[in-house]
Parts: sequence; C-alpha cells; structure tokens
Amino acid sequence: MMKKIVLCSLFALTFVTSSFALPQPQARVEEMVNTVLGVLQQTELSEAEKKSEVSGRVQEYLNMPSISRRTLGTYWDEATEEQRQRFTTLFIQILEGTYLNRMAGYSGGTVKYLKQRVKGNKAIIDTLVISDELEIPVQYKMIYEDGNWQVFDLVLEGISLVRNYRSSYGEIIRRSGYDGLLTLMDEKVEEMNTIK
Amino acid sequence: MLRIFTILFAGYFILVGSAFAAPGQIESENNQDTVVELSAVSPDADFDDDFDADFDDDFDSNAVAPEQLIADPLEPFNRGVFWVNDKLYFYLFKPIASGYGSVVPRPARVSVGNFFSNLATPIRAGNALLQLEFRSFGTEIYRFVINTTFGIGGLFDPAGSIGGVRKISKDFGQTMGVYHVGPGFYLVLPIVGPSSLRDATGSFVDSFADPLRQPNLSTRDYLAIKFLEAENRLSLDHDTYEGVVADSLDPYLFIRSAYAQLREAHISKNTYDVNMFDQPVFNTDELNPLDWLGF
Repeated sequence: MMKKIVLCSLFALTFVTSSFALPQPQARVEEMVNTVLGVLQQTELSEAEKKSEVSGRVQEYLNMPSISRRTLGTYWDEATEEQRQRFTTLFIQILEGTYLNRMAGYSGGTVKYLKQRVKGNKAIIDTLVISDELEIPVQYKMIYEDGNWQVFDLVLEGISLVRNYRSSYGEIIRRSGYDGLLTLMDEKVEEMNTIK
Repeated sequence: MLRIFTILFAGYFILVGSAFAAPGQIESENNQDTVVELSAVSPDADFDDDFDADFDDDFDSNAVAPEQLIADPLEPFNRGVFWVNDKLYFYLFKPIASGYGSVVPRPARVSVGNFFSNLATPIRAGNALLQLEFRSFGTEIYRFVINTTFGIGGLFDPAGSIGGVRKISKDFGQTMGVYHVGPGFYLVLPIVGPSSLRDATGSFVDSFADPLRQPNLSTRDYLAIKFLEAENRLSLDHDTYEGVVADSLDPYLFIRSAYAQLREAHISKNTYDVNMFDQPVFNTDELNPLDWLGF
C-alpha cells in the first residue's frame, strides 16, 4: 500500500512538473527575432515607421528596468529615484539609436538556434547569426519574471553588452559623476536624433 | 619505410579524427529538450562546467560593481595613439579600402581573405598544440588539407562552407592566457589598434610562425603584403568602427571593455566554438577520411 502511494505521488509529481513547466525561452527569442525580421521585410513601411514599429514590439521581450539596473550596477543603488528615471529613459533612447540605426544597413541574414540551457528561472540561448560570409555567435541571457521569459543581456562573440556598458558608464561616473554621465547621454541622444 | 608511413598516417588520422566529434558528445541543434534533460539528469562533466560558468554573477540580482575590465596605466598615451589611429582610419585606410572594394568584386575579396587565412594555419595549429587542444589542432590541419586542395590553394573554404568545420582562432597571446598569464595592461598600438602587453608580445611571437616571413622577402614587401591583407579585411567590414564611434559616449572606453571581454572569451573554455554545436556532415560523407580507412 505504502509503496503504491509513493509510486502514485511520484507519478503525480512528474506529471505536475511537466505540465507546469515554464514556457520555452528559446521560443520567446525566436518570436522576437521573427517579429523584427517580419517588420524589416515589410517593404511598404518607411525607415522611420519600421524603427518605431520594431522598438515598440521588441520592448515586450526585453526587461528594460533590469537591463538599466544591471548596467549601472552599484551606482543604481546610490542614485535617486529621479536620476534612475532619467537614466532609464536616456538609456532606452541610446539603445534604440544604436540598434535601430544599424537596421538601415540590414541586408538579410539567417539565425540558427543552437542550444538552449535552462536552470530554474534562468536561461541561456545560443544562436548563430549568419549573414554573407560572417557568422556571429549571439547569446541571449534570459530570466523568467512576471510570467514571461525576458532578455536581460546579449552576448556577441563573448562580449556582453551589459558588461560593456557597465564598465564604460561606470568609468564615466567615477570621473565626472552621475550628472556628468547624464549630460553625456543627453548629448548623445541629441546627436543621434539630428543624424536621422 | 612503408611502416613509418603507416605509423605517420595513423597518427595523422587519429589527430584529424578528433575533429569529428564522437557522436555522444554532440548535442544536435534544435533538439533543446534533450539538452535540457542532459544537464538535469546525466550531466556530461565538461558541459556542466561550462553551463555553471555561464550562469555567472550577471544572473545575480545583486548589483555588480562596475569594474574596469583591464588595467590601463598608460591611458593618456593610449588615448593619444587612439586619436591618431582614428584619423588614420577615416582619412587614409578607410578611403583606400573603399576604393579597393569598388574595383575588386566582393567574391574576389572574400577569396583573398580566405587565402591569407589559410596561409596562417601554422600559427593557429601551432598554438592549438601548445594549448594541448588536439581537437582544434586536428580541425585546423583538416581545414588546411581540404582548403588547400579542393579549395584551390585556400582561395575557397569548402571545409567551412560545405563541411561546416570552421576556423578556430588561436594565437600566442591566447596561449599565454590559457596558462594563466594575465593581460598585463591595455595597449593601443599604432595602426594595429587595441592590444595588451601580453597580446602584443603574443603577436610578435606568432609572426615567427607566419609562412609569409620568408628570408628572401624584404621587410618592405612583407609589410606591403600585410597592408594588403588588412585593407582587404577592412573592405569586407560593415562599418563596425563607424558604428562604435557614432553610438558610444566614449569610444575609447567602449572599445577597451570590448577588447578585454573578447580576449577573456578567447581564453575561457570553448563556449563560443561554433564547431561544438554542429554535427559534422563528413560523418557519412564521401569526404570523410575515416570512411576510406574503413573505420
């Protein structure tokens, strides 16, 4: 009898874990990539329309508060609420400027999904972006939050974007303070907008 | 005599054979379920190491202190060289590359790149040996043999494009890093760009293994060939540097961090070795030398 109960509960457990398994993070990445590619392939849209379309849709997959917090690291804790707000707004604009302006030169390419690794609420998705004769390994680091898998870092050829921004922004804060960083970011956003 | 040959050949094929991973070690692509299960149920020792190492501090929700990724005591000097390189890039090298690119069609430039890359095999293979990475050594030798013959002297890369066996970057700076030599400090070299004390030393050592360095080739000609190689590479590049300059608050800091991270990635375990993920098609292919021997 006891054996049966144990066996049954074991079965029940395996059943429960499998049916309540988190949705696949790789599916989310594929969804995001396909959304972006889908927008880019709409020839009837102008460059500007494409940009706003992509930026609106992609944010759903990115955990921007988390990306901003991680980028500032310990400086985030020291900043006031207002400074954090300003930083996040500017940072989103800079990321948009960086990646959306780059899309203009987009000449097609394919994404190969290599491997998904999941550990609790964390996941790493390895992909390979193939365009012309170039192959760039792109890794998505994700975290399960608010009922969704969200990207909080991109690693291109071993270079983590968050780490890169954190290191260079940290250096700027060390030298010219938080306000110095915000001023520089302001200027950069201004510059990016005028180029458009 | 025949015996010696047999032994040599056997040794060669064992080495090359290591380029074809044993089937059990490969996670086939698009089969994520197996991978997840593998790590949960029967972790392959190597795989698990990488796995845990990749779930690093960045996954921690605790704030990480911004770190300077590489020491830079010579920053004022480096920034000076960086400034000069920037001007050289925009007013000299880039215009030359654009002109060259508009005259020479792209496929030809890709072939020139392949040729130089194939020629530099001894550097990569040698460093793979020094790092005791026999599989990478086998991969490089295999690529060299296939690309030199079927690829017409290295102009084409059938080993990569058909076989999916890709180049593995190895250099002496990396070899030193593997043996726990730190980068020392950041260096911006004139014309060459970002480097470090260790990696600049490494490049110098590597240049002795460069097949282009022939005793009957004058330094001037050697440099001219190197210049062609660099311009050719630049002509294939999609304005990477322009992008960094346009988008970052301080390009110097951005490139310094990126360089430090890139080299760290080169030295750490083969997380970014694309060959790791791919099922070698040669397993059942005509081109598989193991098949010829009846393995």
